Amino acid sequence: MLPGAGRPGGSPPPFDPLDSPVRSVTVKPVSLNGARVRLDLTILIPHLGFLAEGALLTAEVCALALVGSVLLGMLVAIARTSSNKWIGRLAFAYVDLFRNVPFIVQLFFFYYGLPEIGIYIDAFTTGVVALSISGGAYASDAIRAGILAIDNGILEAAEVSGLSKRVTFTRIVLPIALRTSVRPLGSVLINMILTSSILSTITLNELTGQAKIVASDTFRPFEVYVVLLVVYAALTYLVSIGISLLHRRLNRDLVEQVS
Amino acid sequence: MIKVENVKKAFGPVTVLDGVNLVVNPGEVVSILGSSGSGKSTLIRCINGLEKLNAGRITVDDFDVSKPKDLAEARKRSGTVFQLFNLYPHMTALQNITLAPVEVLKRPRAEAEAEGRALLASVGLGDRADAYSSQLSGGQRQRVGICRALAMKPRYLLLDEVTSALDPEMTAEVLDILAKLAAGGTTMVFVTHEIEFARQISSRIVFLEKGKLLVDLPTAEFFAETGGLAQPRVAQFLSKMRKD
Ligand SMILES: Nc1ncnc2c1ncn2[C@@H]1O[C@H](COP(=O)(O)OP(=O)(O)OP(=O)(O)O)[C@@H](O)[C@H]1O
Ligand SMILES: [Mg+2]
Repeated sequence: MLPGAGRPGGSPPPFDPLDSPVRSVTVKPVSLNGARVRLDLTILIPHLGFLAEGALLTAEVCALALVGSVLLGMLVAIARTSSNKWIGRLAFAYVDLFRNVPFIVQLFFFYYGLPEIGIYIDAFTTGVVALSISGGAYASDAIRAGILAIDNGILEAAEVSGLSKRVTFTRIVLPIALRTSVRPLGSVLINMILTSSILSTITLNELTGQAKIVASDTFRPFEVYVVLLVVYAALTYLVSIGISLLHRRLNRDLVEQVS
Repeated sequence: MIKVENVKKAFGPVTVLDGVNLVVNPGEVVSILGSSGSGKSTLIRCINGLEKLNAGRITVDDFDVSKPKDLAEARKRSGTVFQLFNLYPHMTALQNITLAPVEVLKRPRAEAEAEGRALLASVGLGDRADAYSSQLSGGQRQRVGICRALAMKPRYLLLDEVTSALDPEMTAEVLDILAKLAAGGTTMVFVTHEIEFARQISSRIVFLEKGKLLVDLPTAEFFAETGGLAQPRVAQFLSKMRKD
């Protein structure tokens, strides 16, 4: 509300407990003085190698977890479409459980909880396993949707031609399912890259972990986190470009023009 | 020989095949006629093992389709062509054709591909080997579907309304190929609504009505006043089909 607007002339403004404090906060240029806003990225040059190490670790963890979660997602998707009631239920329980528990809680359970019962896993392995398990729950959804969308007639054609269940799955079901599920799987992967930043909480110094260290060493968190924002955005952007290319490749029959 | 003995098939409370007997000898072309819902597709699906029988027996060259260890052998002996083609969409025409010969019959890939190309050429698609299903017309897809079945060198070809999803011009393309196959001695079980075509290529015609095989006669007799036409249901069916 503008000062004085709509008020009867002369009379003092009615007391509005919400109005004045809010206005004073938003209007006052608190920390926006020139000196502190200046972005000086050159101070990070000595730390670039260190940050790159972190980025590499992020890429490694995510690449392994991608493979892990897609494999797990496939197995679980098969289990969820299985005719065996108990296998199906078990798979559903897994998916429900890991989608409904915060990732950081899963991670702490694996890293800090399991040693209590004598199971010790190093931080890197824990990170890959935890990301694979939680990513697998989402990946199985994407793959299952792709499998269920396959026209039954195609499966019958494979069946009557005598193809084994295994060949039918690897040569027909999976490639057709991936045509549609590659995009949702891409979202799962991008989410995984973002989630991997949480691994810094179990002493795994991936990109975010290294950045925290640089920020506290240099006392320049602004510069450090600006770079972090850009690097994560670039990483996920590259991945989504890759996914688009893969999608085109898998659906090439629909892309190529009839000659 | 395909032998269908006293086959019963029901979906829940609905009896779809009710004691069907049929023998198809090598070299014969047997057309199955009957109105919609009479059980023609179900009979084909029982022969290739896609549906389980409730009673009776079906053997393909003495291999019982109800016995799991016989089914694979029975399926090697029959090839199915589908109404809606059911091509594998992520594979080229040639890959559609060579998949089963390589994976099931363990044929060397190069041989399977050479044969596949020859098959495609024989149906006028020599230049479309690398096209995907979505890049082919309906008639071309069905011709690939026929090649896919033939690539397994089946003794029997099962065809379920293979032209009913096609316009007249494409139907002619496909029927032309089937006529050549019939003339070449390919054994066929042919479900169709193309009465005139069935009359030209069939050695026998059977008429299915509400799950029962009402008539099973050599083609000429089926269309004779004293033969099939003596059955009121057949006469009614034929006159209705001819009007459409
Ligand atoms: N999977 C199924 N579940 C339940 N009922 C079915 C199933 N398949 C077929 N039927 C029923 O069985 C009957 C015979 O079907 P079928 O497809 O064999 O007939 P058809 O002679 O091929 O007919 P059309 O000429 O229309 O293709 C129909 O009443 C159909 O509704
Ligand atoms: Mg039918």
